[in-house]
Amino acid sequence: MAAVGYKPYFSAGLKEWIFTTDHKKIGIMYGITSLIFFLIAGLSALAIRLELFQPGLQYMSEDTYNQALTIHGVLMQFWWAVAIWGSFGNYLLPLMIGARDVAFPRLNALSYWLFFAASVLALITLLPGNHIRMMWTGYPPFSLNENAGPVAFYALIIHLLGASSLASAINLVVTNLTMRAPGITLKKMNLFLHAFLAMNVIQILGVPALAGAVTMLLMDKYFHTAFFDPTRGGDPLLYQNLFWFYSHPVVYVMILPAFGLISEMVATFSRREIFGRTSMIIAIWGIAILGFMVWIHHMFTSGVPDWIRIIFSYTTVLIGVPTGIKIFNWIFTLYKGSIRLTAPMLYTLSAIFMFLIGGLTGIPLGLPAFDVAVHDSHFVVAHFHYVLGMALTLAVFGGFHYWYPKITGRMYSELWAKIGLVIIMIGSNMFYFLQFIVGLEGMPRRYADYPPIDSWIKLHELQTIGAMILGFGVFVALLNLILSTKLGKKAEDNPWQSPSLEWLIPSPPPPHNFDKIPHMPEDWDPYNYEWLDKHHKK
Amino acid sequence: MNEILAYPANYWQTMYEIWLLVSVVIYLVVFIPGAYFLIKYRYKKGVNEKAQHVHESKALEILWTIIPTIVVIYLATQSFAFYKVQRNAPEKSMEIKVTAFMWGWEFEYPNGKKVYSFFNSVVNPENNAYLKPEQVNDMFKAYLPAETPIKVLLTSRDVIHAFYVHPAKAMEDAVPGRITHMWFQINKPGEYWVFCREYCGTQHSKMAAVLKVVPKEEFEKWLNQGTQTSQESNKENL
Repeated sequence: MAAVGYKPYFSAGLKEWIFTTDHKKIGIMYGITSLIFFLIAGLSALAIRLELFQPGLQYMSEDTYNQALTIHGVLMQFWWAVAIWGSFGNYLLPLMIGARDVAFPRLNALSYWLFFAASVLALITLLPGNHIRMMWTGYPPFSLNENAGPVAFYALIIHLLGASSLASAINLVVTNLTMRAPGITLKKMNLFLHAFLAMNVIQILGVPALAGAVTMLLMDKYFHTAFFDPTRGGDPLLYQNLFWFYSHPVVYVMILPAFGLISEMVATFSRREIFGRTSMIIAIWGIAILGFMVWIHHMFTSGVPDWIRIIFSYTTVLIGVPTGIKIFNWIFTLYKGSIRLTAPMLYTLSAIFMFLIGGLTGIPLGLPAFDVAVHDSHFVVAHFHYVLGMALTLAVFGGFHYWYPKITGRMYSELWAKIGLVIIMIGSNMFYFLQFIVGLEGMPRRYADYPPIDSWIKLHELQTIGAMILGFGVFVALLNLILSTKLGKKAEDNPWQSPSLEWLIPSPPPPHNFDKIPHMPEDWDPYNYEWLDKHHKK
Repeated sequence: MNEILAYPANYWQTMYEIWLLVSVVIYLVVFIPGAYFLIKYRYKKGVNEKAQHVHESKALEILWTIIPTIVVIYLATQSFAFYKVQRNAPEKSMEIKVTAFMWGWEFEYPNGKKVYSFFNSVVNPENNAYLKPEQVNDMFKAYLPAETPIKVLLTSRDVIHAFYVHPAKAMEDAVPGRITHMWFQINKPGEYWVFCREYCGTQHSKMAAVLKVVPKEEFEKWLNQGTQTSQESNKENL
């Protein structure tokens, strides 16, 4: 399928980048925007950790701290944990299904530019006078208070992001369902594609709830409605219900694609099909559906009736079952495999074992008898940092390395990738594990300052050191990826010897991906490594 | 003296221990085979170049669906049993009303006596640093009787706050326009922290108060000092 005489897709002029409808370029733009905001959010996290090193306020005022925390939360979730999938989804989905682009390329460009507009608004809130200090949750009535900052920015950012992700979700769902090349059946397609399908369906069902909630917030603040203002008959808990109806499922929007990436890498580097592939697909949809029935666990102490807390505690812990199935299946994929411990495989394995800690510490948060002591404490913060800060981020970094040769046409330095991983693992475990302990001791979250309790001081000191080590590890890993675009060796078309469709075309992919739409034979399967050995001998 | 420092923290402690045991077991059940496979089935030239064919094992899959289901349903049911006690105050509780505001707490006792604690009453005015509970001025402390269950009726004057009693490991939000409730009991006299645990703006991290737990007789004496009732009864005595 090799084509001759084309320029790689990325050596285009500025104008071509701006007006492009090419899914690969749009994917790259998502990725770069996402990474820039990941760095801003990461730096604000380091500033937060520095302030918490000692009790008292050393480096910033309470307001600055609250702003830094708001920025960290909003950017890490929407620009990193959600938007990074815009990058993977756009770039890889058409390649995996044998399509030349997504179903609606121009809509796809619109999605990115709406996201870009939201990014610009987010940067404007960094300017003096526009600081938002209401955390990413923006609970009223606090968000209606002067102290919270200009809520309009927040509402408009959410609207732009919402429009962007709705358009993108519909686009990718349609592409996946209608544009698969002959021979790629729903049953045969990559688990990556199943994960992205479920993730996009969650987006389509959930985003309107959040958009509604922030619209009502905007109306309350600027047009004197009273949806959430209790002094005029509104109910602040209505916001929490609407907010979490989307914002709990959104954690599966973040983590399901990570599961997809993990499945791809575990299969490729064990050189066998994922164990229990059908149950994997059922588990993905189980998580996606159950994910809409658990949101009250964010409100266990909010004053909702006791009986509803109990019902939602059962639904919440049941999510552990499909999640557990996925973990067991990954572990048993290793069984009798031929395991290559390359850098992306090590990132993935780290992601699995860290996700296990994140998952096991999520179970008790679904138990009101446990949650009542740690709700809104650092225990919760540590839990979702194991899931998002570690499992998701490690899976993303694994994905960066895994598809690096495909996307850039060059290889990264294996040694530096592994060094980066070791530093990240040391730093983040030192940081987040101690965060569990300080949380169990009662440390409230979102505190700029804390009382001088001896054990808390020690734990915070060590956490800050861990955070700095983590920051350094991320720096090493990213620097390796950046420098390798110039210094890396030329990559082969299929360095991992995977039969998945994106690896059967040249690296980097030609501008139109496939000269001819491929017809995949009966015995082909994205995880049939023997088929590859038979048909694509080097 | 009661051995347990505070209720309902003891229920939380048991729930915590059950969960920790279950979690460690699950972690090992996953980690040990994982590590073993990683070592045993590593690619070696000439020895383990190709993966072997493994058929799916329906038995294994059913096993790791059913056992976790039973485990999580047990955990939720255990939590249900504990939570009933953790939520519902014993019958002979003393009722106090706590009203949260930006940024501080109002404690109202059954006889109408009130105590106010502000964000700046728990810090050293010179450097704005947190004091230790013993260093806080007694007039800002909410006195409570030891070994007595306290039922708290909570509300808020402005935004949502949360009332978290540190030694009792219990909390509930204070929501404007609603009255929520929680209970606790501290058995050992001493001074303990209360923290706000719902983000509420600039001074959120200083929105703490000190509970001064004293023996019952001492509490009764304190409760009747300087209140309207005590002045009225003084008048009657004249």
